Amino acid sequence: MIKKLIEIVGQDNFTDQLEELVPYSYDASMNVHRPDAAVWPETAEQILAIVKFANEYKIPVIPRGAGTSLSGGVVPIRGGVIIDLSKMNRILEVSIENRYARVEAGVVCDDLNRELAKHGFVFPPDPASSTVSTIGGNVATNAGGIKGAKYGTTRDYVLGLQVVLPTGELMRTGSYTMKCVSGYDLAKLFVGAEGTLGVITEVTLKINPLPRHAMTAVATYARLEDAGKAIFQTMTSGVIPSVMEIMDKVTLQSIRENTDIALPDAEAMILTEADGFTWEEVEAQMEVVLGILKNNHPIEVKTARDEKDRLNLWKARKSAYATLARVSNSFVLDDVTVPISRIPELLVGIQGISQKYGIVVATFGHAGDGNLHPQILYDEYDPDQVERTEKVEEEIFKLAISLKGTLSGEHGIGLSKAGYMTLEHDPVEMDLMRRVKKALDPNNIMNPGKRALDD
Amino acid sequence: MTMSIQLQFDEKRRKAITQCSRCGFCRAVCPIFDLTKRPITNAHGKIILLKEVMEGKLPATEEVAKAMLRCTACMNCTVNCPSGVDPQEIVKAARRDMVDIGFDNLFKAMGEVVEKYGNIYGKEKRRDWGHRKERAPYLLFLGCVGAYREEESVKETLRLLDILKVEYTMVDEVCCSGVLEDVGYKIKEDLARRNIQEIQKTGANTLITTCPYCYRVFKDHPSYKDLGLEVKHITQFLKDFDFHVKTDKKVTYHDPCDLGRHAGIYDEPRQIILKIAPNFVEPRRTRDNAMCCGAGGGFRGAFAKESVKIARNRLSQIIEDTGAEILLTECPSCLHNFRNAKRQKQKIEIYNLTEFLAKLYGERTLGEKEAA
Ligand SMILES: Cc1cc2nc3c(=O)[nH]c(=O)nc-3n(C[C@H](O)[C@H](O)[C@H](O)COP(=O)(O)OP(=O)(O)OC[C@H]3O[C@@H](n4cnc5c(N)ncnc54)[C@H](O)[C@@H]3O)c2cc1C
Ligand code: SF4
Ligand code: SF4
Repeated sequence: MIKKLIEIVGQDNFTDQLEELVPYSYDASMNVHRPDAAVWPETAEQILAIVKFANEYKIPVIPRGAGTSLSGGVVPIRGGVIIDLSKMNRILEVSIENRYARVEAGVVCDDLNRELAKHGFVFPPDPASSTVSTIGGNVATNAGGIKGAKYGTTRDYVLGLQVVLPTGELMRTGSYTMKCVSGYDLAKLFVGAEGTLGVITEVTLKINPLPRHAMTAVATYARLEDAGKAIFQTMTSGVIPSVMEIMDKVTLQSIRENTDIALPDAEAMILTEADGFTWEEVEAQMEVVLGILKNNHPIEVKTARDEKDRLNLWKARKSAYATLARVSNSFVLDDVTVPISRIPELLVGIQGISQKYGIVVATFGHAGDGNLHPQILYDEYDPDQVERTEKVEEEIFKLAISLKGTLSGEHGIGLSKAGYMTLEHDPVEMDLMRRVKKALDPNNIMNPGKRALDD
Repeated sequence: MTMSIQLQFDEKRRKAITQCSRCGFCRAVCPIFDLTKRPITNAHGKIILLKEVMEGKLPATEEVAKAMLRCTACMNCTVNCPSGVDPQEIVKAARRDMVDIGFDNLFKAMGEVVEKYGNIYGKEKRRDWGHRKERAPYLLFLGCVGAYREEESVKETLRLLDILKVEYTMVDEVCCSGVLEDVGYKIKEDLARRNIQEIQKTGANTLITTCPYCYRVFKDHPSYKDLGLEVKHITQFLKDFDFHVKTDKKVTYHDPCDLGRHAGIYDEPRQIILKIAPNFVEPRRTRDNAMCCGAGGGFRGAFAKESVKIARNRLSQIIEDTGAEILLTECPSCLHNFRNAKRQKQKIEIYNLTEFLAKLYGERTLGEKEAA
């Protein structure tokens, strides 16, 4: 195996040295397993040769971007070869006239947006990890950004893909056009597939003009339900704010106690933003939003006076994950998502579960699209806490499903949520998913062991 | 080679290591990862290795020791880490531990050289820089890299101080030897004592360094606590001077890690530059997010080729961002690495700020002479 892989990618782009494989045993979740080797291919042809070989000898291969997955999706649970796409990071084409960008899968999300900004354009769904996450990883997890409510997720921007199939063929699918109904939409099959169906080597993305103006507002509430109502009423008001974020009491408290950001002692805080191409457009939208925020018994509602003030408000939201990560050595960050009107119930329910098990859960997230991030804080070296954390997670999943929601809005199933797939999907659907997997990957070599597809 | 002795981790170290949330954000800024794309070279990779060693899942091997050497201690990951981890502190401590349990590294030899010759290059003879006064209010300390590798630049710096009529003297300096602590060994106490003695003899009240690393050692290291002088980096010292020279050229500035992120000195060099170069542009990655030149933390010593490649990447980045004609910095190591890295076709000129100032004065006198 070693000889063959070196032959394909060259000595410098191969390793099977234990120490180098250690970092490849992890992602940002709590899952761990060693791979047997790792390669850094530089072309789609090299990947093709690797996969052909792997398929012949039934060796697992795991496509990997930046490894920021929060689901264990990129952890090589059955060993095998990590295909690290970091060296395939060229922006191949930016076509402003045709509104698309074509990039290799290893391009970092922010690098693409820096290039697009030069032309006044943007690839909108940027996850909080966009300084490092790769476009391939974003596509494979259907990543969402903070502006999901208005601008959608990665899926809405994928026009076409180049993929190495598990059976060892290179395929181009999709189009360079804004619309396309030519055959099955195979490109979208690979979006959110978490690398279980093939290695994405190239992506053609729709791009948007950058909005020129934005206004930010913040509102605090003494009751979670009021905040929930304000969100849901805003989203049904005819105005779609570009951002609608919520932070709960625990999150606010943690930020207040661990940074110098002054935050009120409230049950919930909403951070919202309207954007547009003229000031008039932005102001008109904001007027509606502010009206609703004020109507739901807030403690305080205020808008950012200037850019500095705006950035300051954003700092609070951006420090949520960070400060929470500082207060405990381990955490699970989930991404349950519910229909928007059920947000208040989800928020209150999570609080109840947290209290029941005596485990701290801080909740924040993209409330505007129904996606919350309960961050469960615990100590991985305390078995009792680990056990209670698992129970908390399970109950949160059950709650979300009971509210007609989903296990994962943007992080994917991977390993962490594989056990809960049948909560959400009935046997018919599970069976079809497994048949799709089998049809594309008969030898089960492509990121095996994930999403309960092969057990 | 696998050693049976395991590393010991005290509570503070354990906490620092487990604090890493594996978010991978350090990938965006680590100059070594940027070059290699290998996770083991990233802050995250090094911390995970130590976590596994700590948990007994991985033996402390030669390869672990080697991995720890792949860090320029630039602190760019530190300022970007959402979890508040300072990876280079963890790495430096791990280097010392690895040496303690028997994995000596190539800096052991450097330590011996420093001890014997008083400089990191093993030079027997030191150039006579003149400027010896019995007593003077200011003392200028050059450090090894400037004195032995960037002599032309140092000469200009001295000339500038003369032009500005600064009353300063120099001494028979030896290596401050602080860097040994970053690479697994101990500062040389006898060298520190020698420096203190020589410096105190001059009766100076302010010690000025050109090297940001020496600055940090004199200012903060316990072995220099009896120094009894105010320590200033040369940019701090010069910030309030009036300079009667100017350039119209497009000028940019690279923040040395040791001066910026490690010492918090960002404004002083800019105050000086703005007095002399109205056409000043910042690179995209600047101040506390400035990318490392690749020279620090013993990295150039251990991986010379990679170190220059990093400098090359940083230089191209600066040129692309700014289109500047002049790149200024104030660190002999950054200067040296950039000059080594510069390709012939690249038009940009690279100077230490003090060197550039002296050059501007030189051009002015030349201009005056021609006019007369
Ligand atoms: C701090 C933090 C914040 C985050 N914020 C967000 C957020 O706001 N929104 C969000 O959606 N996610 C978020 N995430 C999750 C994660 O960053 C995203 O899922 C991201 O898109 C993963 O990209 P990556 O390049 O790191 O992929 P990896 O983690 O390397 O891989 C993720 C999955 O994609 C597969 N994969 C990767 N590349 C390819 C390829 N070329 N072809 C086929 N399969 C591939 C892998 O096998 C794996 O299953 C966050 C993570 C962290 C740590
Ligand atoms: S940025 Fe900090 S927490 Fe994130 S992986 Fe790097 S060291 Fe760990
Ligand atoms: S200190 Fe610099 S070189 Fe070292 S791990 Fe951090 S970013 Fe990389």
